[in-house]
Amino acid sequence: MSLNHLPASSYRTEGCTLTGALSVTTQIRDAITVVHGPSGCTHHNFSLLHATSLDHDRVAIPPIISSGLSETEVVFGGEGALDRTLDRAISREPAAIFVLSTCIAETIGDDVAAVCNAKVGVPVIVIPTAGFLGGSFQTGVNNALVALAGMAEPSPGRKGQVNIIGEKNLEYEVDENFAEVTRLLSLLDLSVSTRFVHNLTAEEIRSVGAARLNVLRDPSLIPVGEYCKERFDIPYISGFPVGLSGTITFLESVGAACAIDPRPAIEAEHSFEQETLGDFADIAGHEISFSSLFPVQDGERAVRDIARAFRLDVIPSGTPVPVPVTPPVGITGVRRMLHRWRRAIHA
Amino acid sequence: MTGAAACLAGFEGISVVIHGSSGCYYYPATLLHTPLYGTFILENEVIFGSRDRLREVIDSLSGKSDQIAVVTTCVPSALGEDIRELVSGGSGLIVVDSPGFAGEMEEGHRAAIAALGPRVNPEQPGVNIDGISLADPFHEGNFQEVSRLLHRTGIPVGTVFCRDHAEKAKAASPFTIGTNEDLGSGVGKYLGGTLGIPALRTTFGRLSEIFDHADVDTAFKELDRQEERLIHAGDKFLRRYEPPRVAVFAGAAYALFAAETLKRYLDAEIVVVGTRNDPPEKPGGQYRVEKLSGLEEVSRRIAESDPDLVIGSSFEHSLCPDRAFAGIIPPFRGQVRLAHYPLAGTGGSLFFVESVLNACMDRVP
Repeated sequence: MSLNHLPASSYRTEGCTLTGALSVTTQIRDAITVVHGPSGCTHHNFSLLHATSLDHDRVAIPPIISSGLSETEVVFGGEGALDRTLDRAISREPAAIFVLSTCIAETIGDDVAAVCNAKVGVPVIVIPTAGFLGGSFQTGVNNALVALAGMAEPSPGRKGQVNIIGEKNLEYEVDENFAEVTRLLSLLDLSVSTRFVHNLTAEEIRSVGAARLNVLRDPSLIPVGEYCKERFDIPYISGFPVGLSGTITFLESVGAACAIDPRPAIEAEHSFEQETLGDFADIAGHEISFSSLFPVQDGERAVRDIARAFRLDVIPSGTPVPVPVTPPVGITGVRRMLHRWRRAIHA
Repeated sequence: MTGAAACLAGFEGISVVIHGSSGCYYYPATLLHTPLYGTFILENEVIFGSRDRLREVIDSLSGKSDQIAVVTTCVPSALGEDIRELVSGGSGLIVVDSPGFAGEMEEGHRAAIAALGPRVNPEQPGVNIDGISLADPFHEGNFQEVSRLLHRTGIPVGTVFCRDHAEKAKAASPFTIGTNEDLGSGVGKYLGGTLGIPALRTTFGRLSEIFDHADVDTAFKELDRQEERLIHAGDKFLRRYEPPRVAVFAGAAYALFAAETLKRYLDAEIVVVGTRNDPPEKPGGQYRVEKLSGLEEVSRRIAESDPDLVIGSSFEHSLCPDRAFAGIIPPFRGQVRLAHYPLAGTGGSLFFVESVLNACMDRVP
C-alpha cells in the first residue's frame, strides 16, 4: 500500500521521503535498509540518524547500505548495482531487508521491485519512497509504517495494552514525549505494548496486532491508524496530548476507547496543572511574541492557549520566546517549554 | 554537492542556490551553518523542466548579493538541463555541476574553485591561506591559528580560500600556504602546509626566503618552544604507558598529520591509516595508507588490527566505543563543541596531542 501524494499535492519544503522512511526502518535493529541511489543520499541520512542516536545515548551505527550509484549506473542503469547490494545485505543474514529508492533511481527508471522480487531466503520489502518524487518526509514515514505493519498478523481475542504509533524518531525530545504519554497512560492503569517503530527487532513487530488501542503521534498518521484499524481491528487516538486542555481531552479519549473511568486520572492531572500554574506565576503579565526557525506545525493554537493560561500577552513587539516545531506534549512538555520562555523573558 | 556548496558559501557576496530537492538541501544547510538557498524542485519540474523554478529563485535573490552560485544535485544533473542556458541573461552567475554521484566532497570543492575562476594579482602583498572549508569543523580554528602565526612574522594574509570576500578571489597573492592539502586551491605558488611542526618549519623557511622583512625567527622560536612541550608531554606519558597502537581514519591530509604526529611524539605504532579520499601517490611515512570507502571496511580493519586508540569521526567511535578515541574529521556527534579548535599551526599540534593523551590516559586501567 502506497500513501504517496499526487504530484500536485507535494510541498517544496516538506522534506525527503527517503529520510522519513529511514527514520522508521532503521529502528529495526536486526534488519538492514538498502538505499538504492548515490552514496551521498545515504551519507547525509546516515549522519543524521547517527547523530540522533547519540543524542539519545544510543551508540548505534544505522543499519543502512547504499547501492552507491555512480555516473556509470546513472547512464547505463542501476539495477545491477542494486542486485549486488542486496546480495551483500543478504550475506549478513538480517531478519529483513527494506529497500528504499531515491530520486535519481526513479528518474533513470530502475525497476526496483523486479530486482527485489528475485531474492529469496530473507524477507525483502520494498517501501515506496523515491525522495521528492515520492512525496514528503511524512509520506515516507507513513509508507514505512504501513509496510512494517504488513509484516504482522491480526491477533483475535487479544488482551494487550497500548501501542504507540509513529513516534518522531528524529525529534530531540522523543523519549521525553514517550515518557509523558506513558505517565498519562499509567494514570489509567494502562501500559505500552509496542513502540511502533522505535528500537525494535523484526520479531517484536509481529506483536503490533495484539493491542487494544493505538495512540498515534499526531494526526498526520491517520492513514496508518486507519490501515491498522482495518487490518487488526484496533481503534486509535489520533495524536499525543497537546498542551494543558489537550492533556485532559487525551485522558478522556483513552478512557472512552478502553472502557476505563478517567475521572481519577483527570483529577490527578488537574492538580498537576494547578501546581504548574503556581510554579510559573512569575512570568504572568509579560508581553511575548513567538519565535520559531520553522513553521509551527498545527500547534499555534495550542501554544496560544498555553500563553493565555499563564496570562502572557502575545503581541508582535513582545519578547521573542522559542516555540517548538511540534507543540509540547502533556503538562511535562509544557513545563519544559515554559522554562525556556522564562529564560527568554528574564534575559 | 556539499563540497561545492561549502566552498562557495565561504565567500561573502555569493548567494549559493542548491538546485535540487529539499532532501538534498537540508544536509549542507545543517552542516555548514550558513545561509543557503534552494530551488526545492518537485515532480513537475522533473517532468517539464526546472527553468522557471530556477529563474524564480534567482530573481528572488536579486539585490541580496553580488553574485549567485547555482550548485546542481543529482536529478537536475541527470536530466541534462543546461543551467547557463536556462538562466541566460544572469550575468556573473557561477554554475557548478556537482551531483553527488560524481564523487567525493573534495571533488565538489575543486569544481567550485574552478567555477569561481580565482586569479593571482602579482602586486598583491602577503600570502594566501587555503584548505579552509565550512564543511571542516576545524576550519575556523585553522584560519585563526595560521593568521596568528603569519601576524607574528609580519606577513599579511592574502586571500583565504574559502572564507573571504568574493572579490579577493580575483586578486589573490602570488603565494599560498595550506591548512589541509586535500582542499588545495591551486592558486599561486604553493609554499607548503601548516599541519605539524616539521611542515611548519619547512613552510616558514620558504616564507623567509620570499618575504625579506618577515620576522620568521619569532615563529621558529614559537615552534621550538611548543615542540618542547609536546616532547615533554609525550615522554611523561611513555614513562608510565606503552605507546598506543593507533588506527587513523580521515581525509588523507589530516590522517597523515595524525599518524606522523603520534609517531613523532609518542612512538606510536600506526596499524592502519585509512583515508576517505584518494591518498597522495607517495604519502611517505613508515606505514601503509589505503583508501577505505565505507564503514564496513573500516570496521573490518579495526577488528583485524585491534588498535587501542582510534582517530577519526564519531562514526568510527561508534564502531568501537570502548577504545580510546580522538576526533579529527566530521561528524563529531554526541558532543557539544563551541570553541574553535585548530589542527593546523602549533596550536593544532598541541590540541591534537592533548586530545590523544587525555583519551589514552582515560582508558588506562
